[in-house]
Amino acid sequence: MFISNSMTRKVITVKPDDSIFKAQELMAENKIRHLPVIESGNRLVGVVTDRDIRSALPYNFFKTAPSEEEKKNYSELKIKDIMTKDPITISPAYTIQDALLLIQDARVGALPVLNEDGTLTGIISVRDLLRAFINVLGIGQPGTLLCILVEEKVGQLKKIVDAITEENISFGSVLVARYWEKDKRAVFPYLLTLNVAHIKEKLTRMGFTLLNPMEWYLDQLPKNE
Amino acid sequence: MKKTGFLYDDRYQEHLTGNYHPEVPDRLPAVYKGIQEAGLLEHLTLIKAVPADIKWVETVHDPQYIKRFAKACNSGNPIFDSPDNQMCTATYQVALLAVGGVLEATRLVMEGELDNAFCAVRPPGHHAEVSQAMGFCYFNNVAIAARYIQQQWDIQRVGIVDFDVHHGNGTQHIFERDPTVFYYSIHQHPTFAYPGTGREFETGKDAGHGYTKNSPMLPGHGDKEYQQILQRDLVPAFAEFKPQVILVSSGFDAHIEDNMSDIKLTTEGFTWIIKLIVELAAEHAQGRLISVLEGGYSIRRLPELARNHIKILMDA
Repeated sequence: MFISNSMTRKVITVKPDDSIFKAQELMAENKIRHLPVIESGNRLVGVVTDRDIRSALPYNFFKTAPSEEEKKNYSELKIKDIMTKDPITISPAYTIQDALLLIQDARVGALPVLNEDGTLTGIISVRDLLRAFINVLGIGQPGTLLCILVEEKVGQLKKIVDAITEENISFGSVLVARYWEKDKRAVFPYLLTLNVAHIKEKLTRMGFTLLNPMEWYLDQLPKNE
Repeated sequence: MKKTGFLYDDRYQEHLTGNYHPEVPDRLPAVYKGIQEAGLLEHLTLIKAVPADIKWVETVHDPQYIKRFAKACNSGNPIFDSPDNQMCTATYQVALLAVGGVLEATRLVMEGELDNAFCAVRPPGHHAEVSQAMGFCYFNNVAIAARYIQQQWDIQRVGIVDFDVHHGNGTQHIFERDPTVFYYSIHQHPTFAYPGTGREFETGKDAGHGYTKNSPMLPGHGDKEYQQILQRDLVPAFAEFKPQVILVSSGFDAHIEDNMSDIKLTTEGFTWIIKLIVELAAEHAQGRLISVLEGGYSIRRLPELARNHIKILMDA
């Protein structure tokens, strides 16, 4: 779960002296919203976003295609004039969890990834994190979600995992969530199988309560007000 | 009363799935029992299975996949592609009989010898992908029937309705780029149920965009919600598409007593659904409808579910 595994390595970049129209074209062509700005030696000096460009140009540039003459008036505008200098960056050795927290905290859409020597090695965007999260949940693979109510004491999860493993069923993921009743937790194993009837019976025989996941969800609603 | 065919063959019970598996041979005698005890057999045209010609299987499945399946089966492999797909040495032949039986029922309906038909087959088919067995399914019976119809008769538009509680990923993927086959599925929401596909925003790709429709249902939903959603989604979709023949993936596992899902359809709920589909077939497809068994694992409820299903087809 390291940044180096989830980041985009083929980074599209611009130079500080490039025109902002170049950045605009690159973003449109590649369907991206963040461009690291680099100097010689792959050194990061800033980040320019689609929002920076929108703020720098008059509104009618986005409403109708501007004429060449209108464009000319802004052709002197360079990336270095509108970019964010000294952007927040992250190291490839950091984890996905770090990136999630940092992106939420900094309210940005992407982080340039820098090597120890300060050179740019990649970029990690909200889109990359979504892909990583889908992977963590295991929902790219066919499976079934169970919801098991357990008492909050040591060893409960082990019992569940052991019981499922004994049936030769693989896990996509296991999530644990709060339950409205004190001292209880809801466990959500995502099992990579269609054959869940037998394991449901077995868990019930072991004394666990199986909930329909919607019951858990509806019970959470008043608590979330 | 309509001329209704009933495909039933003892050989479908030769596909064995091992311990703790819900897709058991006993499902078919349960179906038969319900129909027999209601005295319906004498009014039905019984259809026997014939092995499918491989050329029809190849209209959907990759020839390499078919060979791989045959080889795995003949060498005594107890599972194929996933631990879900438990099998025995007869499975490959039985799967060919399932396809062949469905094609025979299809032929009889298309040639006008029957008005419609119900095919009680095993193994089921709607999870089977072009090159992969999934979710107890090896050959996609319904998908192969759709291609067979299009290649043998002058048919431009085939409609498929899938009311198994699990989304028919295989059928959807096979036709998602094809505007001549409309795939409609109603199933438990993929966040909660296998196979994790069949979300509302999956609507077909490229030329097939708009010819796939999914109605995911939340756990706990039942008759009332199914009726509302089928009226909202299926009825207008078929009014526009106007299928010339309807294939039905009939799974009975959304029943409240079936422990494979959290959907709560009653026996009457299923009757309402097949009635609606029969009406759509009468309106758009000269009544031509071939219903093919997919899931449904409650041995206790299968007799009444199959009986009611076939009674609606017979208009009895």
